[in-house]
Amino acid sequence: MTINCNQLDDLLLEGDPSSLDLAARHAQSCAACMETLAGWNEISDTARGLHATWNSDLLWPRIERAIKGERRSTRTRVWQIAAALLLLAALGATAWIAQRRMHAAEFDEAILKASAIDEVEQAEKAHIAAINHLETLASAKLDQASTPLMVSYKEKLLMLDDAIAECQTAIDKNRQNAYLRTQLLTMYSEKQRTLRDVLREDSNHVSTR
Amino acid sequence: MDAVASAVDLPRPVNLTITPQPPPRMSEDDLRLARACAGGDSDVFASIYANHGERMKSIAYHQLGNVSDAEDAVQETFIKVHRAAASYNGDAAFTTWLYRILINTCYDMLRRRNRRIRETPIDDQIAGGRAASAVDDVKRMALRKLLSELPEQRRTVFALFEIEGLSHAEIAGILDITEGNSKWILFSTKKQLQEQWKK
Repeated sequence: MTINCNQLDDLLLEGDPSSLDLAARHAQSCAACMETLAGWNEISDTARGLHATWNSDLLWPRIERAIKGERRSTRTRVWQIAAALLLLAALGATAWIAQRRMHAAEFDEAILKASAIDEVEQAEKAHIAAINHLETLASAKLDQASTPLMVSYKEKLLMLDDAIAECQTAIDKNRQNAYLRTQLLTMYSEKQRTLRDVLREDSNHVSTR
Repeated sequence: MDAVASAVDLPRPVNLTITPQPPPRMSEDDLRLARACAGGDSDVFASIYANHGERMKSIAYHQLGNVSDAEDAVQETFIKVHRAAASYNGDAAFTTWLYRILINTCYDMLRRRNRRIRETPIDDQIAGGRAASAVDDVKRMALRKLLSELPEQRRTVFALFEIEGLSHAEIAGILDITEGNSKWILFSTKKQLQEQWKK
């Protein structure tokens, strides 16, 4: 196979022995290519002489020590990571237990509040039942109200009943509102006092007659 | 082709025929070697050093320009091999992987000192592989100086092929480039060196 000068670069690029052999054969008959090829080979020959060797008896012991040190530090690191994970798990468990206890306390408190409100409501019911009983006693007199004072008591009682009903509706919406409960109690007390006045007025009226 | 040509600033395109040769692949031995390295087996490291230490030193020397840094790079490479051996996945042969770590370690060291090769007189410390005349010494010094001025990839391809005698397939595996690219870089580097050589 023969080549021309333009193909020399292709052969040098390929660089394998057969390509270089072909280039050398062409260079025999071409002075310019011979010069190029000589320069090319000179670089390769010089480069081969650059392979560096030197005695370094201490290098391997140094490397061996470094690897052993690395192994030790790796082991230490593994233990450190394991300890950190353990600590993290312990902290997590503690936090979880504390949170659970806090929730339990909150739950107990909620139960206590609910039972206290139940007690208040039961007392209120008994109180209301007693007042209703008083109202029953006074109702006969109120129905036959003949004096202006009795009429005014009747109107006052009607107003108190309306206010009590309104307050009770508000309490049904918010059982824990202590202020509303106080207001309700005040109104019932006023109703009780009024009913007593009605009964007393009636007995006074009877005794005067 | 154009992209490659522009990357290496060739004066004119040439016909490139590439016979694809897959880089050496992992064998069972490589896997065993990697496992032993991960376990820190001293004997295995000793055998790797015995088989590849000289070449590793020479490669590092041509990257870093002095004996002390070259030895540091070799030592650091062995430590990195120990650390990374567990993640060796066999994409490349163990030796390719080893040299890749070495080259990257050298690049890192060069970057740490701002990519400047620290030249120290070394001829009294190192010996060439054969008896050399004074003329050869001059040529070698001149070539070494030209190499130190090359960009790192060009210098690496040239050194691995021309000085250390690695194949283009091996170089491609080490530098994570194609075999054709390795040939091209070598060709254009030698062209460049030839121009400077004449001066």
